[in-house]
Amino acid sequence: MALTLSPFAPWPGWRYLPREARDTLFLLGVIGWTVLPHMLHLPVWCTLLTVVVLLWRARLALSNQALPGRWVLVAVLIVAAALTFWSFRTLLGKEPGVTLAVVLMALKTLELRARRDAFVIFFLGFFLVLTHFLYSQTLLVATAMLVAVWGLLTALVLAHMPVGQPSLRIASRLALRTALYGAPIMALLFVLFPRIGPLWGVPRDGISATGLSNSMTMGSVAEVAADDSVALRVRFDGPVPAPESLYFRGPVLSRFDGIEWRPATPGFDFARGQAWASSANLRVSGAPLGYEMTLEPLRLATVPLLEAAAGAPAIEGYRINGRDDLQWVADRPLLERVRFHAEAYPSFSYGPTQRTLRLADQLALPSGYNPRTLEWAAALRRDPRYANADARALAQALLRHIRTGGYSYTLAAGEYGRDAIDEFWLDRKAGFCEHFAAAFVVVMRALDVPARVVTGYQGADPLPVDGYYVVRQSSAHAWAEYWQPGIGWVRADPTAAVAPERISRTRRLAPPPGLVAGTLGTLNPELLAQFRAGWEAVNNRWNQWVLNYSRGQQLDLLKTLGVQSPSWEDLTLLLIGALSALALGGAAWAWWDRHRVDPWTRQMDRLREALRSLGIDAAVPDTPRALAARLRERYGTNAQGLAALLDALERQRYSRASTPRPDAGLTRRFVGLARRLRATAAV
Amino acid sequence: MSTGTLTHDDDAAARPRWRGPIGFARARFGAWLQGRLPRTDTLLLTQGNVYILPTRAGLAFGITLVVLLLASINYQLNLGYVLTFLLAGSGAVTMYVTHATLRGLTLHLKPLVPVFAGDAAILNVVLTSPGSARFGVGLKVADADIATLSYVDVPAGGQAPAQISFVPRRRGVHALPALSTETRFPLGLFRTWAVWRPASELLVYPRPERPAAPLPQARPVPGGPTQMRSSDGGEVEGVRGYRRGDPLKLIAWKKAAKALETGGELVSRDTSASAHQELWLDWQACGTLATEDRLSRLAAWVLGADRVGSDYGLRLPGRTIEPDSGEAQRRRCLEALALWR
Repeated sequence: MALTLSPFAPWPGWRYLPREARDTLFLLGVIGWTVLPHMLHLPVWCTLLTVVVLLWRARLALSNQALPGRWVLVAVLIVAAALTFWSFRTLLGKEPGVTLAVVLMALKTLELRARRDAFVIFFLGFFLVLTHFLYSQTLLVATAMLVAVWGLLTALVLAHMPVGQPSLRIASRLALRTALYGAPIMALLFVLFPRIGPLWGVPRDGISATGLSNSMTMGSVAEVAADDSVALRVRFDGPVPAPESLYFRGPVLSRFDGIEWRPATPGFDFARGQAWASSANLRVSGAPLGYEMTLEPLRLATVPLLEAAAGAPAIEGYRINGRDDLQWVADRPLLERVRFHAEAYPSFSYGPTQRTLRLADQLALPSGYNPRTLEWAAALRRDPRYANADARALAQALLRHIRTGGYSYTLAAGEYGRDAIDEFWLDRKAGFCEHFAAAFVVVMRALDVPARVVTGYQGADPLPVDGYYVVRQSSAHAWAEYWQPGIGWVRADPTAAVAPERISRTRRLAPPPGLVAGTLGTLNPELLAQFRAGWEAVNNRWNQWVLNYSRGQQLDLLKTLGVQSPSWEDLTLLLIGALSALALGGAAWAWWDRHRVDPWTRQMDRLREALRSLGIDAAVPDTPRALAARLRERYGTNAQGLAALLDALERQRYSRASTPRPDAGLTRRFVGLARRLRATAAV
Repeated sequence: MSTGTLTHDDDAAARPRWRGPIGFARARFGAWLQGRLPRTDTLLLTQGNVYILPTRAGLAFGITLVVLLLASINYQLNLGYVLTFLLAGSGAVTMYVTHATLRGLTLHLKPLVPVFAGDAAILNVVLTSPGSARFGVGLKVADADIATLSYVDVPAGGQAPAQISFVPRRRGVHALPALSTETRFPLGLFRTWAVWRPASELLVYPRPERPAAPLPQARPVPGGPTQMRSSDGGEVEGVRGYRRGDPLKLIAWKKAAKALETGGELVSRDTSASAHQELWLDWQACGTLATEDRLSRLAAWVLGADRVGSDYGLRLPGRTIEPDSGEAQRRRCLEALALWR
């Protein structure tokens, strides 16, 4: 491409650009802004291609050159499709789809020949805005995308102002006005549009999965620990329990193949009835602790309830079943943020009191793995001190060993090899919760005590935000349970033995702060903390009222509106009713508007009537000035007042300083004067 | 303000291109609707005469909204719902905004200036907005192509002039074609329009013959004053076309400038010709031409004679206009030619 504009030509100034070039540059800017957040998760080639194409198009607009031929675009598109396939091994799915949409958007700008041909750009732009929400729905993303939508609407308005060179400010104000007018309809639809489940399939790749999972390999929790995003929020009805007693029970892992821990093959889910109660054998004491939980989409069926829940919480749209290992499992993974109320009994015991067949599963150890640990356990067994020790004594001994044996807690545990437990328990003695829990369980099993790993969340941010205690992904934890005859399953947290502060002080791994936060943190840590708390509060509101708004809240709303047993059909009816009322209101207004008489015309009608009573021939096309002349001619100075009023009306209506509405006082004075004049004329 | 640079050919409008019976029915229905409209030179656009329908882009926007909604449902994106409903709300609101862009406007047609057949007739329309500013209001001849729209912005509480042009083909007094005004502001999702039949009638002069035939010879007036005037320095009697060799001081610069502007030639003072000669533009002098061609030639002669500035008269069968000169004579003659039958 030959560029006529020298790259060093001075920038003419935004205001002095030709209209076409300015509009194009503005649209390119908006597109750039819309695509920008995608740069984080797009392949590098896509980012580069988009930037190059947008800059090229800007260059063409500035130098007012012809756009490239269609075959160039087709060639680039084919290359882009090939690169997409090379990057993802498929053209279907979220990531390849977004990549292709971004490329299409960029290439379409090279086909942007006229202002009015730009609709494809706009619609593709709106679609791209939506794709951002697949990755994140935070307040920040929402704000950025609101700006993007504003920009797109402004460009659209600009395309429909064909006269002259309308300023960007006017166009953006008109776009904003349109959006503001549309906001009430948006609110109505948002509140009342029935939330229904996915129409087809379950989107597996909606939000990248972080946090707990249904399996545990060494190192998996470490990734989670670095993730500072929110997992759930809790608001307690009553007094707040100590953070070290907050154990949110997630997947229970009892099958160990030497590498990976997995949940036991689920026998079957018990309904919330007698079957579950007898099988879990939960025995609680004391008063329950009520709390409200807002759970982020963990993409996991297990609901991490506070230990121990005696009944299934009611979560709109899901069926929650209890299992005998005290897990509460939904009938499908939780893919949306849910809010519900639940109860926990802090003091409880559960599980069979007598040895059962199922307990044998909790003793299995893979053969050929971790021989030295098994040897170490056998040595302990042979120790006369523990000859008659029960499970509890053995657990105490192990915890004591962990406390005194030179173990240390670190998140930077590094890579472990095949016999990871051997390596950890006997050689390196450094690790974090999953290492401690796994090693504890392996040793207990080697000591012939049924034991298993429990994953979940432990603790919460020390200070509540807006009454909510925040539990982050970094609070993900793994602990152990062993079986004690006569009592049942007993929790043991070996991590607490080596790093008790890990349990009591729950914010452990602060993420590396950003530049601004870092500076602020050094200058004024209190301000940073305040700022952070405020931000969290806003964010929480956002989550509670916008992102968390679901069918449950919709039905609650119906209940407050007085519907006895609301269903989504009622919701649909209400929505249709509201929209119909809106449309009817519009139609009624249109009808009224049609029969409306211009206020100026109405005023003139009244004046003419008064004039006719004085014998003045006042026809429709006569101006006030002409009527005044006629009055003076007929009545002379007697009509001076009336004529002056007519002259004033002429000025009000037609002069440079005209008023927007007729002066009602003038009409009154005129009619009064006319009546007096008629009376005097009659005498 | 803006000027319609594209002109519309009313012959093409007279022969709409029907595509099949549906197109025919549509054209007939449109014609019937237009025929029902009262003719007026000042039209107030109200709820009653402004129509609105979604555009093709509006339908595409609707499809986009459905896609966005499906994506929001399937991925359970509450922000997706927000986006979809915000766009839906804004789109619905533009139905009102687009309609309000025309509603309340007053269109007023200024007095028409006669034109020659085949030349573009410019209709000067003044748009008045009593209330808010109106953007992107387009005007065109109703049957004309959409590309002929001439756009205008009307300031709040103010006026804006607009021009529409079309080309009349035949001479005579013509009713104006139906005009239409439309807008798609602000988002282009809806098109709102109104059809207007102005009451004014347009006088169309015959198309002047091009190139014009030479003017007939002027003849001395029998019985008129006969004394000769001095050929240099005296009063000016008349003018004639520039001849090679005429001294510069003999050129009537003012008239020449005017003549040049209208496509004529230089004009010299004719000190020898006399005001006692008169030029008769005679129907009979046109030889064997057909009626319309005769009128064309006479029109060209009228223009020519007017340009030279001499007195001229017009003789048509059944009508004679006595010799005179000036703008009034020119108009009188051309009108006679336009209306002759």
